[in-house]
Amino acid sequence: MDSRKALYKRKHSAAKTKVEKKKKKEKALATVTKPVGGYKNNGIRVVMIRKMPRYTEDVPQKLLSHGTKPFSQHVRKQCTSITPGTVLIILTGRHRGKRVVFLKQLGSGLLLVTGPLALNRVPLRRTHQKFAIATSTKVDISKVKMPKRLTDAYFKQQQLSKPRHQEGEIFHTEEEKYEITEQHKANQKTVGW
Amino acid sequence: MSGRLWCKAIFAGYKRGLCKQRGHTALLKIEGVYARAETEFYLGKRYAYVYKEKNNTVTLRCKPNKARVIWGKVTKAHGNSGMVHAKFRSNLPAKVIGHRIRVVLYPSRI
Repeated sequence: MDSRKALYKRKHSAAKTKVEKKKKKEKALATVTKPVGGYKNNGIRVVMIRKMPRYTEDVPQKLLSHGTKPFSQHVRKQCTSITPGTVLIILTGRHRGKRVVFLKQLGSGLLLVTGPLALNRVPLRRTHQKFAIATSTKVDISKVKMPKRLTDAYFKQQQLSKPRHQEGEIFHTEEEKYEITEQHKANQKTVGW
Repeated sequence: MSGRLWCKAIFAGYKRGLCKQRGHTALLKIEGVYARAETEFYLGKRYAYVYKEKNNTVTLRCKPNKARVIWGKVTKAHGNSGMVHAKFRSNLPAKVIGHRIRVVLYPSRI
């Protein structure tokens, strides 16, 4: 069958079942009567099996307190001494003590740096402003091409599955090691550093 | 990487009046810092008391080794000669008085 035709067919049929489902739901609001103690409680209580949602149109959700923003909306400041092309000294992590070139600040506030890879084996990487010292040395990076896909989501740490040591397990899950993907290598080449 | 990425400091004693001492705050003397104005760089920096024990401890990135750390941070200057207050996550043991504390360069404000 043509996929589009099937799509329209499905849409129509979905609408019907929604209405039908609603009607069915109202009929089948099941309740249970339970015996209750306490002499003022009339001995039994009618309890709904499926409880009403806590927040509806009539009962609005808890108001968020004023001034608290989620992390994605935080203001990201940047140190005035750190401009694109500044040489930074990394203070923590496996590359501590190395001098790297700052490329740009990412959306989460972290800094995108590169070794360059050929010089000190530091690839395109994120660092934190607080854990790097900006030197006064600046390098001209106006000719460096930066692929647009270098965002925080791209650099996010991958959750590697760990092996489960269980006897008699049918599927032996191998421990995944962090591998430098081809995309990482390609991006490094595009930047040229 | 070559080079020491931390400054040398000595745990000079606890915050104290003449008779009572407050173990929750330590006084540190950083090498090379001998005036109150010079301590401004070190405010907020983290401090580590590193020591070794007999048994191995688990480390995040390396193999388990015998080094252990008590972390802390500089809170404020003390006096006019470059001494500094520091608070550690757990109080420093008194036997460390006169011994080495490492001042790391992060969180950096430059």
